[in-house]
Amino acid sequence: MRIELFKVPVCTRCNSARVELQAVAEAAGAEWCEVNALDALDRAVDLGVLTLPALVIDGELAFATLPTPAALRRELAWRAQHG
Amino acid sequence: MLTIGKLAKAGDISPDALRYYEREGLLAPASKTDSGYRLYGEDAVRRVRFIQHAQACGFTLAEIRELLHLRQSEHACCNDVRSRAVEKKLQLAAKIRAMQTISAALERLIAKCAYGTLPVDDCPILAALEQIDGSAQDDAP
Repeated sequence: MRIELFKVPVCTRCNSARVELQAVAEAAGAEWCEVNALDALDRAVDLGVLTLPALVIDGELAFATLPTPAALRRELAWRAQHG
Repeated sequence: MLTIGKLAKAGDISPDALRYYEREGLLAPASKTDSGYRLYGEDAVRRVRFIQHAQACGFTLAEIRELLHLRQSEHACCNDVRSRAVEKKLQLAAKIRAMQTISAALERLIAKCAYGTLPVDDCPILAALEQIDGSAQDDAP
């Protein structure tokens, strides 16, 4: 699984929540990467990202706002089960 | 102090628009005269220009309210404003794409037209718009 965090660089909202979410993702064996929304504007629009920060999982907008670590854990578990 | 008429003139805006800004919580008079006329401080001109520039950049009045709030907030920093500007750019890019799709659909409809030689009852554009399955938009060019 590949998780992309679309964000604005040095976003205070992202930085505070990022560390916990990254830990959840890595514990589930997912790849974590961060994308500067300004550098990837076309791709963000393709994915339906209209607010920042947003989480994309395997090329699909999964969270339009940052989830709680528990919500991300549930989502990853569901995806692992249902492919 | 400025009356609503003077502020409207300085901001190149109508008094009705200023009253609308007030109803939307974007602008408030500093005081009122005994007879109830609104009076604004000199900073109101700057505020009105801010609202107009933000509207020109596509921000909604609700978003402008947030920007004005950020401008006055001790805890906000330039990154908060930048985030909103990037989000607005994303939303505009999505809107532009949607408009391009609509434009392409119209182009296909126009291409079906027989240059005004048919009676309106046989108009292919009206016929395509009447189709309820959306195929008018999905037709290959």
